[in-house]
Amino acid sequence: MISLILQIGFAALCAWVLFITIDMIWALPREGGVVGAKAIAAAVEKAGGDLRGGTMMGNIVSSPDASAGTLLAACGVYCFGIPGGLLATVLVYIGNRICSDPGYAGTTGCFLATFMVYGGTKIGIPAEFFIIGMVIAILTIQGISHRHASRLLGKIWRLRK
Amino acid sequence: MEASEMSEDILMSLLDNLPGPFASPMLQPPAESAELAAILCGMIALYAVIRIIFEPDVMRKLPFLNVFSFSIAGIMALMIPHPLGVIAAAAYFIGSTFESNAIASTWAGGVEP
Repeated sequence: MISLILQIGFAALCAWVLFITIDMIWALPREGGVVGAKAIAAAVEKAGGDLRGGTMMGNIVSSPDASAGTLLAACGVYCFGIPGGLLATVLVYIGNRICSDPGYAGTTGCFLATFMVYGGTKIGIPAEFFIIGMVIAILTIQGISHRHASRLLGKIWRLRK
Repeated sequence: MEASEMSEDILMSLLDNLPGPFASPMLQPPAESAELAAILCGMIALYAVIRIIFEPDVMRKLPFLNVFSFSIAGIMALMIPHPLGVIAAAAYFIGSTFESNAIASTWAGGVEP
């Protein structure tokens, strides 16, 4: 039981670091890709959060970004191995275009996460733990406290600049 | 008594041999660790729903809705370990982000002409 919890925690940490890194590289906190993302950023700022962190949270809601890519890559590897992950990459690319998002954060994230999850299965962490790990990682950003999460994201963004 | 038991056996064996909608050589039953992961996903989805209900600001409901969509997409893939399962999960997830996008844009006043 303890080893299961450790495995899930390790998978969640890997997923968290991967999706935050790729979102920061693609500069999601810089500006809202669509009108809705800006509105969510304004709402988060009004609640005492950081505008740049709120913008990133709005972008995550409005279009499949690296977090969605990581989740779908884990689902793909769980169901179908590496080809499943690449299939998920194609679907995320289509989803980006449907949501009128000009960036490639989701596609890159999904492609890299496919190989991360496959490597995880080789060292003994099953792909299903990366699925729940990614759900826990998105819970820490979007689901606990918008004020603190947006401040943390804003701090990481200023560090990157 | 014997006859009814016999007919029940025949019925059960017939049901076992009938190909159901999920009968496919590529579809194995989910492993125990997958069931554990699905239970955790379900608990997180329930938590997200409770947060959505008690959040007064409509724009700030959407991030919780995003957590909910993540959990449901995860459960779909975990419970259908088949190549089509990942397509179902991806289609559901992309559709739900598209809906969130539409709700947020509409609530914010729509796209400028």
